[in-house]
Amino acid sequence: MLKFIPYVFKSLWRHRARTLLTVSGTAVALLVFCFIGAVQQGMLALTSGDDAGRTLIVFQENRFCPQSSRLPQDYESTIAKLPGVQEVVPVKVFTNNCRASLDAIVFQGLPPEKLKAWRDIDLQSGNWSAFSDQDDAALVGIDVATRRGLSVGDKFTIGDVSVVVQGVFKSPSAAENNLIFTQLEFLQRARGANDVGTVTMLEVHLNDTADPEALAKQIDQAFHAGPVGTTTRTKGMFQADTLADLAELIGFVHWLGYACVGLVLSLVATTTVMSVQDRIKEHAVLQTLGLRPLRVFGLVLTESLLLSTIGGILGVAGSVLLLSSTGMSIAAEGVTIAFEPSLPLAMQGVVVSVVVGLLAGLAPGWHASRTEIVSALRHA
Amino acid sequence: MPLIEVIDVSKEYANGEETIRPLDGVSLSIEEGDYVSLMGASGSGKSTLLNLIAGIDQATAGKIIVAGTDITRLSRGKLADWRAANIGYVFQTHNLIPVLTAYENVELPLLLLPMSASERRKRVAIAMEAVDLTSRAKHYPRQMSGGQEQRVGIARAIVSNPTVVVADEPTGSLDDETTEQILQLLSRVNEELDMTLLMVTHDADAGERARRRIRLERGRLMENGKELQTAKLHTA
Repeated sequence: MLKFIPYVFKSLWRHRARTLLTVSGTAVALLVFCFIGAVQQGMLALTSGDDAGRTLIVFQENRFCPQSSRLPQDYESTIAKLPGVQEVVPVKVFTNNCRASLDAIVFQGLPPEKLKAWRDIDLQSGNWSAFSDQDDAALVGIDVATRRGLSVGDKFTIGDVSVVVQGVFKSPSAAENNLIFTQLEFLQRARGANDVGTVTMLEVHLNDTADPEALAKQIDQAFHAGPVGTTTRTKGMFQADTLADLAELIGFVHWLGYACVGLVLSLVATTTVMSVQDRIKEHAVLQTLGLRPLRVFGLVLTESLLLSTIGGILGVAGSVLLLSSTGMSIAAEGVTIAFEPSLPLAMQGVVVSVVVGLLAGLAPGWHASRTEIVSALRHA
Repeated sequence: MPLIEVIDVSKEYANGEETIRPLDGVSLSIEEGDYVSLMGASGSGKSTLLNLIAGIDQATAGKIIVAGTDITRLSRGKLADWRAANIGYVFQTHNLIPVLTAYENVELPLLLLPMSASERRKRVAIAMEAVDLTSRAKHYPRQMSGGQEQRVGIARAIVSNPTVVVADEPTGSLDDETTEQILQLLSRVNEELDMTLLMVTHDADAGERARRRIRLERGRLMENGKELQTAKLHTA
């Protein structure tokens, strides 16, 4: 069969316009498929990461946008005393857009020592001491830096918050690569406000023996009668609740992914059917020369497989290139979903294109192999 | 023992509600090395008989034995293998594969046989030389004349050194001068390469080149004015 591969390539090249259109159509569909997969993957990473179940987020009761949650910072010490609590990290959040946006900028202000201790970030450029020493210093996630063209020493302003970049960091959590960290106090005083003493949320890190649900209830109970009520959830649940509307949309969008697969199937099958119809006589000649019907079937299947796989690989490569070079993300209410390419996703895209290629070639291949030689030879 | 034995073969097919029977219990023997022309009016069934002997069509009844193999009993796959090893087919309209060069077209049947690449190269070179087209080896069918295409078709038919070369109206689409060249080439295939040749033609002059001239009339095979009679098929 391998001896006939040059013939298959030449047959595809003979109708290069048709071949290129099919390959490019397949590539675009697989690019969209992988893009959708990356969004879903980003969503999944937020709600099922390692710390999603072992970290609690304390937010002001009945508040959703980070701008409107104002928790007294001294809640931190009360929570820290509860059994099972390892550490409490106060976080002030500022975002230039509370609604879903592809270019929302999210600032998180944390005490520098707690930022260093509880965020797994690796500085690509800049240094920690410059960040700790300078009031308006910022550590910028690598995806934001790429998107906005920022580097160490740059000064930039977003939504009346002006900072100086003192480091660009990379985190294993893709969502964090879309954040900008500042000192807590700086963000509390930003935009002429005096929010010292209040934070947007408290991040509660639990020890291994603590029961997250019981502790969440305990926290909410403790502040029930206080000046500001709280809603405490695991980080995963908090992010899922915050992004509920988006999650619904993303859940719907995955059907578009299936639609892309269907599109590729119909596109490649149409091209293969046309190719078989064009070459009824040619296949009859090959059979006259002694090509077994099963081999004719194999030739058609190989053609369809090549069309789909080449298109698939191009589409997957395009999506990986696009996603990794642009660092795209979507944020809503201060929570960011990163569109992250990954090897499993790329493999999934290639496997889908291979399977679709095989499926698309089945019927035309069967038809070509069952053609009666004599009547096909009479075919004009 | 004859190389080809057609015994009591019938072929019928449906054309709408009508049943057409181009061959009705015909029998024929062809010896090894024979050059046989098969003539007859259009629709007389001569191409049908050729296709049955070449194993690309199935008889409705009867037996066809080629070099000891009853090809009417072979499955589609086995029949394809048998054709690859035993039949060289020359088409009326050349039927070269347009995306392949002359060389690659001639090499095609050899790809189906267990053969090393060097052996294939050797055989293709010999076949191309036999049809005097070595200089055109890298040309595509669209870059050749009708006569050259037919010579490539003949090279493709003889390259695997088949048991039988069958030719269906090989000069049907050619001018007089090219027809003469092709007929001479076919005679050389029979005489110099000692290949058994069965040619269907409606051209009486072309038919005269063969040593045996058989006519198909009303579903019966006639040679020298007499109906051909060979051993009838005995069924239990």
